[in-house]
Amino acid sequence: MVSASSLALRQQFNNPAQQRETVTLGMWIFLATEVMLFGALFTAYSVYRIYYTPAFTHASGEMEYWMGAVNTAVLICSSFTMALGVHSAEAGKKRLTVLFLLLTMLIGCIFLGIKFWEHYRHYLDHKVPGINFQEAGALGPREQMFFFLYFAMTGLHAFHMLVGLGVLSVMVLRVVFGSISREYHTPIEIAGLYWHFVDVIWVVLFAIFYIPGAHLR
Amino acid sequence: MSEHRPTVKTYALTWGILLALTLLTSLIGLVDLGPFSLAVGVVIALIKASLIAIFFMHALYGSKLIRVVAAGGVAWFLILLGITLADYLTRNWYPFAQR
Amino acid sequence: MMSTIAVRPPVVTDYLNAEHGILSWLLTTDHKRIGLLYLFSITAFFFLGGVFALLMRLQLLVPGGLIVDPDTYNKLFTMHGITMVWFFLIPSIPNTLGNFFIPMMIGAKDLAFPKLNLLSWYVFMLGGFTTLYAIVRGGVDTGWTFYAPFSTAYSKTYVVAAAVGIFIAGFSSIMTGLNFIATIHRMRAPGLTWFRLPIFIWSMYATSLILVLATPVLAITLATLGIERIFHVGIFDPAMGGDPLLFQHLFWFYSHPAVYIMVLPAMGVVSEIIPTFSRKPLFGYKAVAFSSMAIAIVGFLVWGHHMFVAGMSLYSAMVFSFLSYLVALPSAIKVFNWTATMYKGSVKMTAPMLYAIGFIGVFTIGGMTGLFLAAMGIDVHVTDTYFVVAHFHYIMVGGAVMAFLGGIHYWWPKISGKMYPEYLAQLSALTVFLGFNLTFFPQFILGYLGMPRRYATYPPEFQVWNVLSTAGATILGVGYIVPLIYLLWSWKYGQDAPSNPWRTTGLEWKTPSPPPKHNFENTPVVTWNAYDFEAQKEELHLG
Repeated sequence: MVSASSLALRQQFNNPAQQRETVTLGMWIFLATEVMLFGALFTAYSVYRIYYTPAFTHASGEMEYWMGAVNTAVLICSSFTMALGVHSAEAGKKRLTVLFLLLTMLIGCIFLGIKFWEHYRHYLDHKVPGINFQEAGALGPREQMFFFLYFAMTGLHAFHMLVGLGVLSVMVLRVVFGSISREYHTPIEIAGLYWHFVDVIWVVLFAIFYIPGAHLR
Repeated sequence: MSEHRPTVKTYALTWGILLALTLLTSLIGLVDLGPFSLAVGVVIALIKASLIAIFFMHALYGSKLIRVVAAGGVAWFLILLGITLADYLTRNWYPFAQR
Repeated sequence: MMSTIAVRPPVVTDYLNAEHGILSWLLTTDHKRIGLLYLFSITAFFFLGGVFALLMRLQLLVPGGLIVDPDTYNKLFTMHGITMVWFFLIPSIPNTLGNFFIPMMIGAKDLAFPKLNLLSWYVFMLGGFTTLYAIVRGGVDTGWTFYAPFSTAYSKTYVVAAAVGIFIAGFSSIMTGLNFIATIHRMRAPGLTWFRLPIFIWSMYATSLILVLATPVLAITLATLGIERIFHVGIFDPAMGGDPLLFQHLFWFYSHPAVYIMVLPAMGVVSEIIPTFSRKPLFGYKAVAFSSMAIAIVGFLVWGHHMFVAGMSLYSAMVFSFLSYLVALPSAIKVFNWTATMYKGSVKMTAPMLYAIGFIGVFTIGGMTGLFLAAMGIDVHVTDTYFVVAHFHYIMVGGAVMAFLGGIHYWWPKISGKMYPEYLAQLSALTVFLGFNLTFFPQFILGYLGMPRRYATYPPEFQVWNVLSTAGATILGVGYIVPLIYLLWSWKYGQDAPSNPWRTTGLEWKTPSPPPKHNFENTPVVTWNAYDFEAQKEELHLG
């Protein structure tokens, strides 16, 4: 009876199934709190977009459109490799799990690299509110609102990516050093949930920041 | 573990559809749809988000409770958004003709 | 079965003496010990906030102000509000009694995530110390509501430090709420179905929903406030196209439901005390359970009644006004059911019961005056007057704090393994009730006469009511200090408590007092409904 799963069973739980369900539920509740965390900023975006539609469309035209589109594809690829990582963990294939986790992290780093490059371009263009924002044209002051929301939301998203990379590093170590097994792979699953959620947020961010003004390019 | 889970094939298919939708939305974005460009972009984004949630996050494969939690998170965001916007959208209505 | 009632085995290992040393407390994952860590921390914050309150009441003894200048007075009411709301009331019942008793009442060994539980205490203390830093450095003067643009552009005090402290403490709330929801869903003992749960569990569940869904919005709002103050990006600045009302929307989306974070647990405590000391099952169990959920949900739809005079949409305001009335329905259902439970019961006026009955009366006044404020016409007249101050203190102090004290007394035998001195406790319960009403009832009158809140001085014709209020606050202060002294005294010198001193139902009373480290030797199997005295007649020695 002393299998890997019973060793990983925490004392407050009666059986592995209960532990698995509880931990998964906990992760989903956490994701609901994340929805509200980003939700406050989405609300702010909606309010100001309604008030300053022309300025927001115009400012959106100043995004690095293709970088954003490519980054969306990049993040979707990382979600795919993450899903395969979870799948391998379920099947008990340790090497494959480690491989997919590392691949996911690599693609995540590519995303962050492109994102950082974009932010840097905006910095050079004097588009960072509170630091070096320069108004241009009649819509200038309202465009600053767009850029603030852009930096706040993509910044918060990038922070979540960094946390995700940290979580995945721990997962790689846990698989390598053996506390994850075919019987007990819940940590990989919930790390995957988090990673996919961060992907979902980006997909929406792309739609609200890049697309409205893309035709103005 | 006994529960039904997506296969590698399903994951790959989801991935393909997501990439195709990304390409589609990027190209539609280049067309001037006036006030609808944001709406179209958001609708496609929500379809993509749902695909990720359903197939990658197994939202519909798990227990009913998980579905309730996921739906609850979205519903509460809509409460925040909807009621706040209700104020902004009606703030400039006046019950009487302005003097 | 007999032995569970009166006889304690001679040598017992309980959660208090299972391990020794300071590290066994600071590194514990036992939900009972973490509950006590919280109890000590929030008690300290409570008395700190109380000192601020007493200084304010002292200032208002004479029309011109007695002790401080207006700037200091602004800081006093701000720091009183911040300390009391975020570092006492929000965590008060959930993190002490909830932490301690949720696992015991549902027959579990611990919460679902014990390490997260300990982390939440550390995060709470980090937030607390950050806010204390702001207080020590010179305080904050924005009011606990941090309204923009005063907080973002004009205040010269330590706004960012205070906001960071609250931001951090918010994550402790989220962790606690998440932990409780997962625990209540997945850790219940076999046979303990949802409709056999004690109402305290239902109300903690409803509270946790609010903690989890509202607190993240506060976190982002305060973060944005800090960014606006430091970088001046314009999000709440009209000169740059921002809308200060957006801050109010986001702030009250959290802070109105936060009132229900304070009062729902109080209702849960009262729902435990009243059946026990009436010897009757709770009247209308399902109605009370569902009304907790209804309060949690409808509570999210009414925040705009804080903004009636702020310049929001008239139509929006009318809808908010209507929805605010709806909250009265589930609240009234509870009040009627508690009273109906006592009707023809064999009521025993112990100290917890005095607090519970006091709660019903005081909460009713607080709730009814809430309806006054939900009505836009009256609200315009009394906005930002002492009427509002009196109203929410009737809910928060008369409601939440009295229920907290009632709960502490009710479960004290289980927590400490000792009985508290009953007559002294009854006397201080009466003192609290008297002092509370004398403090805050005059404020209703002051507010209705037009005295605005948050002023360091007032016209001479208001003095008599202010003197009464200050006198009441003094009595109230005594009423809070006396229990602190005798409870600490009883911890060492009190009479040993039997496992079930009140002879009541509920799984938490089926363990020794104080309980062993893992609560239950064997996971209990539940075959009875909550408050079913009849089903446990023999075990409880009821004739």
